[in-house]
Amino acid sequence: MEIGHHPGIPYHEAPSDLPPDHRLSPGEWVRQNLFNNWYNSLISVVMGLGLAFALVQTLDWALTSDFLIIRRNLALFMVGQFPRDELWRVWASLYLLVGASGFGSGVLFRSEQADAEEKGLPVETHSWSEMLRRFWAIVAISIFFVSFARTLLPYLGLVVGFGLFVVGRELGRRLSPALRTRGLFLSGLAGLASLLVLAGTGGLGALAVGGLLGVWTLSEVRNYAEQHGVGSGQPVPVSRRVWRWHIRYPFKRRVGARLASWVAGVVVGVIAWFVLRTVDLSGFGWDDWGGLHLTLFVTVVGISAGFPVGVLLALGRQSKLQVVKGICVVFIEFSRGVPLISLLLFSSFMLPLLFPITFGIPGPLTRAMIVVTAFSAAYIAEIVRGGLQAVPRGQIEAAQAGGMSVARIQRLIVLPQALRAVIPALVGQFISLLKDTSLLSIIGLLEFLQTSDVANAQTEFLGQGLVAVTYPFVALGYWAFAYTMSKESRRVEERLGVGVR
Amino acid sequence: MSDTVVNADATEILGKGDTIISLRGVDKFFGDFQALSNINMSVGEQEVVVVIGPSGSGKSTLIRCINRLERHDRGSIVVDGVELSDDIRAIQGIRRETGMVFQSFNLFPHLSVMDNITLAPRNVRNMPKAEAEATAMELLERVKIPDQVRKYPGQLSGGQQQRVAIARSLAMKPKVMLFDEPTSALDPEMIKEVLDTMKDLATEGMTMICVTHEMGFAREVADRVVFMADGEIVEVGPPEHFFTNPTEERTKLFLSQIL
Ligand SMILES: Nc1ncnc2c1ncn2[C@@H]1O[C@H](COP(=O)(O)OP(=O)(O)OP(=O)(O)O)[C@@H](O)[C@H]1O
Ligand SMILES: [Mg+2]
Repeated sequence: MEIGHHPGIPYHEAPSDLPPDHRLSPGEWVRQNLFNNWYNSLISVVMGLGLAFALVQTLDWALTSDFLIIRRNLALFMVGQFPRDELWRVWASLYLLVGASGFGSGVLFRSEQADAEEKGLPVETHSWSEMLRRFWAIVAISIFFVSFARTLLPYLGLVVGFGLFVVGRELGRRLSPALRTRGLFLSGLAGLASLLVLAGTGGLGALAVGGLLGVWTLSEVRNYAEQHGVGSGQPVPVSRRVWRWHIRYPFKRRVGARLASWVAGVVVGVIAWFVLRTVDLSGFGWDDWGGLHLTLFVTVVGISAGFPVGVLLALGRQSKLQVVKGICVVFIEFSRGVPLISLLLFSSFMLPLLFPITFGIPGPLTRAMIVVTAFSAAYIAEIVRGGLQAVPRGQIEAAQAGGMSVARIQRLIVLPQALRAVIPALVGQFISLLKDTSLLSIIGLLEFLQTSDVANAQTEFLGQGLVAVTYPFVALGYWAFAYTMSKESRRVEERLGVGVR
Repeated sequence: MSDTVVNADATEILGKGDTIISLRGVDKFFGDFQALSNINMSVGEQEVVVVIGPSGSGKSTLIRCINRLERHDRGSIVVDGVELSDDIRAIQGIRRETGMVFQSFNLFPHLSVMDNITLAPRNVRNMPKAEAEATAMELLERVKIPDQVRKYPGQLSGGQQQRVAIARSLAMKPKVMLFDEPTSALDPEMIKEVLDTMKDLATEGMTMICVTHEMGFAREVADRVVFMADGEIVEVGPPEHFFTNPTEERTKLFLSQIL
């Protein structure tokens, strides 16, 4: 008489009713996860009813509301008061930016692939559906926004924009390895130049682009010199005796190459600066910016300028030089101890007094960017400081024992580990910044949220309670970008193996 | 002899070549606490010195002063003809000539084994990438883990990590290697592989100062053993001396505990 399982079969191998890799059908999933006991069932029912109610209400709102206010004001929401007959500049700038970022992202992707191949790590294959999964919220929101357009042009613009991104990325991925760094540099330059196209940032944009061109020239000349043995102490091939006078004077030769690269860099930089300055874009400086465009721009500036400043502040706060440390501490604690609103107001009333008259009084957007950068830098500094403290002492000692300089240790050992550890907190800060830019309205900038009030103040729509239409519309815009940022941050975390190693 | 004899002189090099490290009258304080007092010691080229002593006796502090991970307060330390001072160039120069292996490995977790090893040579010695990588592969062969080159430290066993750490130090082609209890954090079965690596190094003529309680290792490869207690060098001699007739009471007590 045998009861129970067969004695010859170990218990864990006893045949079971459910194969182990059995995938649940939707019905079973619901039963197992939502109605597995009485209180869970109760919660499910209550929540389900609530959800259904919310859904019905939303649908009712969506079907009965009049979206005319958005259709009429789409341009207002997107670009504020930017002169309507100059809108082509926004498109041109957008195209340049989208193409450049597509190109840059392609180059980066390919060089990461090459890196993984070289190290024998698993190589990620390129897939557009993966890209769509990553950025679906932004793609969807752009399509949603454009769907309110009354002419065909914005639709066309959107298609061209996506097309340029795809073409840029494909080109970037196909760039030959030798040109990759140059390619990245070029896409950065194009991104900056897009600002010029748009708003005629005049001196500033020209300075930035000219400066970068100069640096580029400098490094190209130096590379050339080194590759051909000038300055590295290697013999100069006879065919390259252009630098003949260097050959007799090894010391002069080295200095000569340095000097030549500097001269070339400065000359190119200055010429570029002057040429770009003469492009006359007066009449609509960037103080005309507004809407979603302004919001995104200030956020990007706050992140990309605030991040390096923040890292420097965090390092400075650890400095043994008391003066440096003191300045950093005062700056950080001041910026963090005061609400952003008061900083912005301060910028309206105080900054103009602090600026030397010769520079002219900076416009509101310039001031706002300075304040937002300072504000985000202070927060980033404190986040990074937390990361710096989490790097074990032994890491620094091991690098010191290898004879590395303080700067190299920070750059190659400490910061990479510190930053990895604080990615989630950093991205949280970036997302806050995106939403905090809504405060720019109090210094008279027409940012994204404010456009909703402006639309509702138009005589046609005044006092009709249409904020119920415009606010959700604006909120969706914020959400798409915030959501994509947090999704991307999780991706970066996973790839860097935060908390795994 | 009584146990009142302190500050034994460790300046006499046994058998081997010229002095490469010399400490004279070195004192080190942590606040009011004196961690090293009047240390006199020399190490000859190709000599292997093992430092032993109870916990807190100042062994780590001693070798960390030699590459300036700690700053000594009095006395002089000369390494390969360069005196340690606050001059950063002297310090960098000495650090380039001395490799250090830590109890807790201290590999860089965000870099692959290859990058861990090539980082310092490429950045400090300005070695071209290809050359640095070739050297790294040679070293990994030497510590017998060439197949781990692509992994990250977190993917290696303790013994493998410590051997990578040794390879990393060797990549700078140092004249002296400092070991601070390199096997104390390892499981017994991994201790041997690390000690074997160290023995190979000694046989190849590397100058080494090792803080370790592996007396088998000391007996086999050490030219001299230095016993420390309370920040002082209490007794110095060849390994046989310690195994057969240690003179100081404190030495006897300590050896009876660890042997
Ligand atoms: N950074 C420091 N600050 C204060 N005291 C310290 C510091 N480092 C070491 N000490 C003290 O100096 C003494 C010597 O320390 P050291 O680490 O050199 O001992 P050790 O011989 O290596 O001991 P162990 O065998 O436990 O590693 C100890 O009493 C220790 O508490
Ligand atoms: Mg110790």
